[in-house]
Amino acid sequence: MSEGQRLNKNTLAKQNRKLVIAPYLFILPNLLIFGTFIVFPSLLGLYYSFHVYDGLNPMKFNGLDNYIKIIGDREFWSTIGRTGIYAAIVVPLIYAAALGIALLLAREIRMRGFFRAVFYWPTMISYIIVGLTWKWIFGDSFGILNHLLTVVGVEPVGFLTSSFWANTAVIIATVWSRAGFFMVIFIAGLQAIPTDYYEAARLDGATGIKVFRYITLPLLKPTSLLVVMLTLIDAFKAFPLMFALTGGGPGKDTTYIVQYIYEIGFNRQELGLASAMSVILFILIGGFSALQFRLSKGGAT
Amino acid sequence: MTKRTTFKLITSMVLVMLLIVLTACGNSGTNANPKQTTLDFLWFSDGKEGEVIKEIIKEYEQTNTKVKINLIEVGFKDIQTKLKTMLSGGKPPALSRVTDTGSFANQAVDLTPYVDNADQFEDQFIDSLKPYYVINDKLVAAPMDVTANGLIYNKTLFDKAGVKVPTSPDQVWTWDEYTAALKEVMDKGGARYGMVWDVTPHRWSTLLYQNGGSILTEDGTAAAINSEAGIRSMEQFKQLHQEGIMPESVWLGGENPNNLFRSGTVATHWAGNWMISNYKDITDFEWGVTYMPKGTQRSSVPGGKFLMAFKGSGYEQEAAEFIEYLTSKEVNSKYNQESLFMSPRKDSSVLNYEFGKEMFEIFADELKNSSPLAANDWSRQTIISKISTDLKNNIVEVLSDKATPQEALDRTAKLINEAIGSQ
Repeated sequence: MSEGQRLNKNTLAKQNRKLVIAPYLFILPNLLIFGTFIVFPSLLGLYYSFHVYDGLNPMKFNGLDNYIKIIGDREFWSTIGRTGIYAAIVVPLIYAAALGIALLLAREIRMRGFFRAVFYWPTMISYIIVGLTWKWIFGDSFGILNHLLTVVGVEPVGFLTSSFWANTAVIIATVWSRAGFFMVIFIAGLQAIPTDYYEAARLDGATGIKVFRYITLPLLKPTSLLVVMLTLIDAFKAFPLMFALTGGGPGKDTTYIVQYIYEIGFNRQELGLASAMSVILFILIGGFSALQFRLSKGGAT
Repeated sequence: MTKRTTFKLITSMVLVMLLIVLTACGNSGTNANPKQTTLDFLWFSDGKEGEVIKEIIKEYEQTNTKVKINLIEVGFKDIQTKLKTMLSGGKPPALSRVTDTGSFANQAVDLTPYVDNADQFEDQFIDSLKPYYVINDKLVAAPMDVTANGLIYNKTLFDKAGVKVPTSPDQVWTWDEYTAALKEVMDKGGARYGMVWDVTPHRWSTLLYQNGGSILTEDGTAAAINSEAGIRSMEQFKQLHQEGIMPESVWLGGENPNNLFRSGTVATHWAGNWMISNYKDITDFEWGVTYMPKGTQRSSVPGGKFLMAFKGSGYEQEAAEFIEYLTSKEVNSKYNQESLFMSPRKDSSVLNYEFGKEMFEIFADELKNSSPLAANDWSRQTIISKISTDLKNNIVEVLSDKATPQEALDRTAKLINEAIGSQ
């Protein structure tokens, strides 16, 4: 090998090394944040779940006791059930609302950008603000809705004091605050469908509903799956919105699993038990994610 | 861009990120001036006491030039979480204003060696407060103000209905007379509701004590809430809702009772004495304080706000000195008088308030005529703080017909006994 060739090889090796290191350096900041704020606290939570810990005094190892206690905790399971019912109602509603809006706003209509912004805007507001805003609407004595009812001579309704109405209020607020986000995903999905399919269908004389049923819906399957899974995971993590809107009430009628864990951890000061509940919730949500990954054939949505 | 500059750019980006993370994790409370000591003081305000304490701090700093007090203000609802985060994160504040002394007793500085004479120090304050701040023979806190539950009423609505309120302790209503009066104010005075009651088990327990009940037995070794008096209190509370005397929106819908009273549509508000300062600015109607009705006996529920210094802050000595200053007769009287609070000091029971002096006298009379079991229950903070939310939830279960009073109270009793067992 000549001197020149060797030099050239060295420079190439150096450049290759840089190319190998560079991508890691790019993801390092994210990795650092992910590790500090997600991985480390998660592992710490897992560690706490095997202890009796009130957050202040020294923790005591108690093996699987927290998990055994959860198995016998009727309240925990009924909260899971309540969360499941909430998810079963909210997921199809968000799906239908997001898809409906996306179908309307994917077309060339006047002021399309404005309408898209209007529907997207609520997703940018924090859940606490969403909850408080809807509280002003549904509030029993000071709510706008009851004020309007009184003006037209109708008796005020206890929107936040009856189980049915409080759940309805929570569901309306959830759909309002989330549909816009999934609308964007659906619009992207709709735009990815080649126009030739539609043209071919129209040439064959297919009507609007048939086009939707046989072309749009099947081709949106990966997007639909993603939306359903994300809304399902969201529903199981729901907390701040109802905390601000109903406080989990009346009674515990809108107390879903995360709020229950919060109450056990911070009000009853049983952080070990709350951590064990979080681990169970993590497994549940992890299960949904695995299912989504599987159904979408390895994440290729 | 050459590869070298790209590399430099990435390296500097990473370094900046590292710096941000490290700064965020580091101790931000480090003092720039080594000669001056900065004490972090965690604080919440119900009324105007935040303004008053700032003035007092300013005066303290003028005479103690080496000490600087850094007042960290948070909402009342957040103070518990904030304090826990600071303590468990290993960065305790030098001191804090607390209501729940039991939860933090192990982290508190025992003030005994810092005060000249612990017995003399404790002797300055109302005796019933002692269990709140002397825990396991340690002086873990010092009282700043004492509170009482009482009855605030809308004078304008009562006058309109022509209903008189008791003006002296011997005219105190029975519960039947009280509810009859409320119905009259609703009928003739146009009040939408007869009463609102703060959504806290502390305020609810007033009724329990008036009926001769208690949360715990006298020696604190077992639950007593599911007694006959407890059940009667629960039934009575439910009936007040069923008859429309109380709105469901407060206990069931989480509506703020202060706002309802302020709207001028509610005849009475069962609240604490701190509401005097809160309602001071009401101009739409006249309001006042009257005596609470009696069941088998009269009773209010005492409470208080305390000052606590924390171990490991590095400024235990300075914090203890500042606590002594704040609880001294002169400073404590100024604080309570200007904040419209009641002093926990025996020698400052009569303060020269610029507003509502006669109202404070009624609150003080309620305290004097309280069941001793009320202070006994609420001073056992290590137990009470663990079951408080469950008690509230169980009251709501009764109101929303999901449990009978007996079921709800038996459930609460079970949790109380568990909490006692885990001590």
